[in-house]
Amino acid sequence: MIEFKDVTFGYSKENEVLKGISFSVEEGERVGLIGSNGAGKSTLMKAMLGLISCEGEISIDGLRVEQKNIAAIRKTLGYVLQDSDNQMFMPTVLEDMIFGPLNYGMGRAEAEKLVDDTLERMSLLHLKNRQNYKMSGGEKRMAAIATILAMQPKGMLMDEPSTALDPRNRRRLIEILNELPVTKIIATHDLDLVLETCDRVLLLANGTIVADGKVEEILWNQELLEQYNLELPFCIAGIPERFKQ
Amino acid sequence: MNKAEHALHEIHAMNELAAMDSPIHRLGALAKVVVTVAYLLVTISFSIYDCSGLLIMVLYPVLVYQIAGIPIRTCFYKLRIILPLVCAVGLFNPLFDRKTILVIGTLHISGGVMSMVTLMMKGIFCLLASFLLIATTSIEEICHALRQLHVPKLLTSLLLLTYRYVSVLLEEVGIMMEAYHLRAPGQKGIHISAWGSFLGQLILRSMDRATALYESMELRGFHGEFYYAKKNYNKRASFIYAVLWIGAFVVMRYVNLTRLIGGIVS
Repeated sequence: MIEFKDVTFGYSKENEVLKGISFSVEEGERVGLIGSNGAGKSTLMKAMLGLISCEGEISIDGLRVEQKNIAAIRKTLGYVLQDSDNQMFMPTVLEDMIFGPLNYGMGRAEAEKLVDDTLERMSLLHLKNRQNYKMSGGEKRMAAIATILAMQPKGMLMDEPSTALDPRNRRRLIEILNELPVTKIIATHDLDLVLETCDRVLLLANGTIVADGKVEEILWNQELLEQYNLELPFCIAGIPERFKQ
Repeated sequence: MNKAEHALHEIHAMNELAAMDSPIHRLGALAKVVVTVAYLLVTISFSIYDCSGLLIMVLYPVLVYQIAGIPIRTCFYKLRIILPLVCAVGLFNPLFDRKTILVIGTLHISGGVMSMVTLMMKGIFCLLASFLLIATTSIEEICHALRQLHVPKLLTSLLLLTYRYVSVLLEEVGIMMEAYHLRAPGQKGIHISAWGSFLGQLILRSMDRATALYESMELRGFHGEFYYAKKNYNKRASFIYAVLWIGAFVVMRYVNLTRLIGGIVS
């Protein structure tokens, strides 16, 4: 469904953010994209959506990422931004959720029904008419995910989806992610989230993919993770050293 | 709360007013926009000496504010900066137009005084009516109504995006001012030596956020036309509301009701 062939992107020749990236993701796969700060995770996602133009070839669902296919690609791949405030630009949750479906030509009644169904599935119906600026960080995050789900994408890209969520909402997010029957790429530092929601992990460092494998192969590999400024997930690492006695 | 946060709070308060529920809020935006435009046109069309004829125009804002459940003092509070400017429009008229046009007992009222009062009334009435529109209708609904009136989408989108970006800008100013004051206790405002970097950072941060917002809109298929979730409004009531008020404005314009009522009472 997603294919990268020798993709390179940089703001200048000396400052390349992505360097010859190649990988593919099959339909329905659940991929965790991990890496330290500035590794290129967000840039990689933006490249898939045509928000930046890269050298090399990227294709999504058989469509090459180029101007003529942009609208179709963006309908296919939903993108949950890192900062929910940037995602929620309309006054209420309903207005925000209906924005995408209406822009893609869906009828108003059908779009409103879709919004209701999505909110109900996420147990968020109570937020439907809520003013965006009145919501807590966690509520905003969940609503931002709902705005993308309302577009019924075939795949979802999520940038740090668990940021600002309290443990209960984080748990709810994990449940929702596991229930979603779509292709998912989750860029995050929350390795425990990856452990619970993904089957495959891509480890990005300095603009290249340094490891690509099953979750258990990579997230249990302490040496590999530490080499790239990461640590074992908390649930694997166990009790912090100072409490072990 | 710093000034920027206070300004942002006022914008949010306006959104809350527009989200209230009242018979006026439940009317269609198109009817409210048309009635407001008709009111403004009729109000400004009165002669500058026709103070008594103009007085009856106060009926519309007073009645509708009551029905909408919006305290009129809220309006005066929100417009506290612009009202003095409006009132100052005809301030010098009494100096230039000294011809007496009305005598009440021993009091001689010049044309200048009369025109000054009329201009003030016109300004205040127009502000009251405009505020009433934005206090009972969201900006999205107003833009949608303007589109129905065939205002180019470029203009309506510009209006809507400007409104949105003002909030973004104020948020960024609020965050930066808070960060500044936390490390510069006791200072009033931003020190002149920091103005350059403050403004530069503000522009860069606002551009970043504006770009992210625009990208988010593009990713959800935005192509210049804003769609919004329509409220279910009563079409018949909206139509009757518009027709009745426009009819009333025409009557108020051509029949001096104030004089008529005064004649009956006396």
